[in-house]
Amino acid sequence: MGPEETAARAVLACGEVRTCLLPAGQALDSRAAAQLLRLRADERVLVSERPNLYGRSPDTLTGVDCPLPSSNGARVRAVGTVAARAALTEGRVLQTSAYFRVPATGPDHRRPWGHYLVRPGVVEPFGKLPREAVAQGLLDGGGLGELDVGLIAGGLLTRLLRHPLLDQRPPLRSRPTRLRWVALPTQHGDGPSIERFTVAEDELRTVRLRVPEGTRSAEIAGLCDDLALHDWLLTTVVHILDGIRLGPGTPRARPLPGPAEGRPTVVQALRPAVDHLLHLWMPRARVSRELAPLWTALEEQPGFTRQWQALVQRIRDQLTLHAIPPASREVEPSP
Amino acid sequence: MTEAVFRETSAEPRTQAVPLSHLSLELGHFYMEDFEAGPAHLRQHFDRVRPWVEAARTVAVDQAGGKRPRISTCFLIDDYFARFSSPAELVPLLLAEADRAGLVIDYLARESGCAVTGKVPVAEAVAGRIVEEPPPGSYGIRPPAAQTGWLANGERSPTARAPQAMKRAAAWQPPTETAARRHSVFLDVELWSDGPDGRRTWSCPFLAAVWQLARLGLLRNRGEAVLSPHPHPHPHPDADSEFPEDWDELPTLVRLNPRADPFAAYRTCSVLPNRFLPVEHAVRVILDQVEVDPEALHQVAERSARESVAVPDSVADRVSYLFYAGT
Repeated sequence: MGPEETAARAVLACGEVRTCLLPAGQALDSRAAAQLLRLRADERVLVSERPNLYGRSPDTLTGVDCPLPSSNGARVRAVGTVAARAALTEGRVLQTSAYFRVPATGPDHRRPWGHYLVRPGVVEPFGKLPREAVAQGLLDGGGLGELDVGLIAGGLLTRLLRHPLLDQRPPLRSRPTRLRWVALPTQHGDGPSIERFTVAEDELRTVRLRVPEGTRSAEIAGLCDDLALHDWLLTTVVHILDGIRLGPGTPRARPLPGPAEGRPTVVQALRPAVDHLLHLWMPRARVSRELAPLWTALEEQPGFTRQWQALVQRIRDQLTLHAIPPASREVEPSP
Repeated sequence: MTEAVFRETSAEPRTQAVPLSHLSLELGHFYMEDFEAGPAHLRQHFDRVRPWVEAARTVAVDQAGGKRPRISTCFLIDDYFARFSSPAELVPLLLAEADRAGLVIDYLARESGCAVTGKVPVAEAVAGRIVEEPPPGSYGIRPPAAQTGWLANGERSPTARAPQAMKRAAAWQPPTETAARRHSVFLDVELWSDGPDGRRTWSCPFLAAVWQLARLGLLRNRGEAVLSPHPHPHPHPDADSEFPEDWDELPTLVRLNPRADPFAAYRTCSVLPNRFLPVEHAVRVILDQVEVDPEALHQVAERSARESVAVPDSVADRVSYLFYAGT
């Protein structure tokens, strides 16, 4: 029996993941990663080197006492703690993840704070939880004064980005993404499933999951970290390819002398992707066995890995073409 | 789930377990000025403590469900705020007076051990585990407790600004205790102060909260137990006393009685004079807002369930006191 089972059964879990490129010229090695992720002096940073280099901070808690967002306007006050942690993959991609779970019912008054602190990551509703309405409300994002799990993930990210280890010279331009998720229990003993993965705004994704009752919320958060990481990789590489001018561009009246012609834009734009991103693709590296099958759905539709492979192939083709000296080319490389 | 084939030890957090008694009974908490007051003061203290020790033992028997309860006794000497004399001189005196009153001190601790033990900055680590009690309306903004060095059991009064000329001062607003029952008992605890040289001095209530966590077996440093008892040091053959001349040479926690039950326990009880009441109220406010190592907490829950001993959920509720009249 894990510590999670001692608390009341959760009927809803929710979280938000922020993913961004580590603003440092060089990827951090495992020692530096452990230093960055040491949120608490007395707790070890989890460091793993198989199947890829990965570090994860201990969880930190933030106390909350506020209404939960709901889609039907129901006002449910809830009290408890939201857990937050940070992870660094291959010393390059930084993620912060805040999450909590909610039991079906709670007492109709606030208990002494010590009661909540021995239930880390649990937010208890006053009375009965209108599960569906709150799940939708959380995905839609709350109003002012309502529980904002993204604020907690964002706060931790801001704190880490100020770390003196970081020289603030990222090797490429990229945008951070947010992935907000809710998980509801499956019915009739079904296996876990992704009900919806929405690319909502430019940088916001929402995921609605069904998981077997008793699934640890840290594991769901782990799955969502993994989804967010790979979604960020796709977004970032698509963006890189989007921004470059492939091929010779507008024909010049008089070609410039020298072999470097046409190279800087494409090679310079693509090189950071090769140096820093292409080796990061590794779905399910740390997803629990129970939740790993959820990836299958995304592989089928829209086909995360398929898209990634196409992007990688395109980058390699471009670099190969540009490696051929212009004199030997019969035609100029084009998209 | 089946056992994983591949394992990486650095990726698996492990937490050392500590042996546990039913009750950790504190027989006193002495400052250097208490020792300065001479042996008569010690004698008077132990005479007053003795009947309460009996009472605490009786309660522990009840709580152990009829079995022989494991009870360990301890005594805390403050060598943090001021130093006086030496262990060689004071400890034998202390033990003699306890013995006179029919009491056995199983474990002796130095208060500086609650600040730093060996190379482990214990107090700093505990300060890093403070999760402030959120006042109603907290929706995700983290209150900056770590910056101020104060911890309250509610919301402070809004800061009163000096009234400007021709303007009326804003009406005073009271602070509120978050867990108040109708009326507040608001308490704001100073956790530490920083000296001009940048040296941090932990407050007495904060160190006392660390002391309680140690006695509850809930302190860990990167998974390792902190403030574990050391066996009684073997005295040098030609030493005058079996205790060292310098406080720093005495281990922060010494097991004086080789047959003692484990130092850490499911619950603690401290027998103290009345003057400790405000300090211990502050200790409760602190304990109520410290998130202890979840795995350590889990180990205690599992062990106590196995031997059918009820342990309160909340850490602050595991602590009890008996205050006697006097100073």
